Amino acid sequence: MSILNVNQIQPVGSGQTVTISATNISAGSATVTAGTFTGNLTGNVTGNATGLSGSPTLSGITSVSTSNLTVNGNAYPSAGPLSNRNLIINGAMQVAQRGTSSTSTGYQTVDRFTVSRNGVSVTQSQETLSSGDPYDEGFRYFLRYTNTATNSSAQSFVEISQYIESQNVAQSGWNYKSSSSYITTSFWVRSSLAGTYYVHYNNDDVDKFVYNKAFTLSSNTWTKVTHSIPGDSSCVFNNDNGRGLRVVIVPHYGTDYTDSSSQTDAWFTRTTSNYSPDFAQNWSNSASATFDITGLQLEVGTVATPFEHRSYGDELARCQRYYQKMIVEDIKFTCSRWDQSQGVGECNVYLRETMRLAPTFAFTGTWDTGGGWGGDPVMTLARPDVVVLTTTVSTVAASGVKVLRSETTDASISFTAEL
Amino acid sequence: MTYKFPWTEVGESPKTVCHVETRRWIPFEPGNTDYQEYLAWLAEGNEPLPADDPS
Repeated sequence: MSILNVNQIQPVGSGQTVTISATNISAGSATVTAGTFTGNLTGNVTGNATGLSGSPTLSGITSVSTSNLTVNGNAYPSAGPLSNRNLIINGAMQVAQRGTSSTSTGYQTVDRFTVSRNGVSVTQSQETLSSGDPYDEGFRYFLRYTNTATNSSAQSFVEISQYIESQNVAQSGWNYKSSSSYITTSFWVRSSLAGTYYVHYNNDDVDKFVYNKAFTLSSNTWTKVTHSIPGDSSCVFNNDNGRGLRVVIVPHYGTDYTDSSSQTDAWFTRTTSNYSPDFAQNWSNSASATFDITGLQLEVGTVATPFEHRSYGDELARCQRYYQKMIVEDIKFTCSRWDQSQGVGECNVYLRETMRLAPTFAFTGTWDTGGGWGGDPVMTLARPDVVVLTTTVSTVAASGVKVLRSETTDASISFTAEL
Repeated sequence: MTYKFPWTEVGESPKTVCHVETRRWIPFEPGNTDYQEYLAWLAEGNEPLPADDPS
């Protein structure tokens, strides 16, 4: 083998190209640099290829390994499925079957989100977006909490939660027993009060096993929060329809619930007094304070991919596994009696989606009595996909019929199987 | 807080119970959070009202 030792190779005359005729070019561990490489690059390529531009065609690549792959500005998943990634239901806050504003706690407005509070009074509402960064990403609604009566006590708190079914976490693809396997949360949030707030994750299949992530906001400014949390050998998510993971966004915990012994960025077993570190600001004691959220997504992997926008119909169907409401003004439910003895008349109501489990039944409106009417509806049997409603009156003759009907405009029937 | 049973056929046991104040009908389903509240209420020594008489 002959070795040519030179410092530089230049084309002859006015040429611009040096052609190397060889089966293989080996540069050892050195870097080959040129203003432009032309022609095909074939064979095994190792090392880093930086500065690719123009329109190169890459073929024969069998895998790309990177912790954060972005194509045309879109982040791609590092783990988990390629569709139905978002474990949160109604994260764009578009479905509100119960109503759009309420001063009560619990499930009252935006589906799947529940508010818990103490001391402070809060109005929860579904609001429309008409501009701003979340709007530009396709969001048209947000969930708002408004402080309507301040409270300075140490026992004051406000939580915004969504419970995720345990089987949905168990089958998500998150290897939750591994500290090197992650889930990632992203959401848009805005508070009238600047400060550091927390997302509190609660593994409901383990007693008081939690994880805190902090996020910091400027006042009245939409901020996109993203963070990842790892699995842990102590995490448990049963393959059932019970509570699995509770994602809690916390506008405020009073000092009865906070302590310096609390942790962030680590799983730990909380007590009743160390849910999170202390809050420097006090949202509960700030008159007319607001706290807004939209675009909540929780997915497997370390990358916050673009929000998985779903149609209203798709999201409604998902919500109806937990709650469904039918407006029934002047709708007639014919309840019949079989041919033996006097009693109540019965009818079956088939639910729009199979629910998480046998639901609670509620109704509104004034239901007609007397004559052929059956009075208020009564639920005597429930299954996840069908319930039996009966008349209140139990004097329906054998083989007779009475009808459940309400003509009031607020007449509704609803079914609840929330977590 | 008051609960009341529905009217049932002779020889049958109720499978739901009514939370009177809210007019909600609760199935005897262990995973139902309303049923869990009802069981807690029962555990305090309370008893539901019987079903209404025929009307």
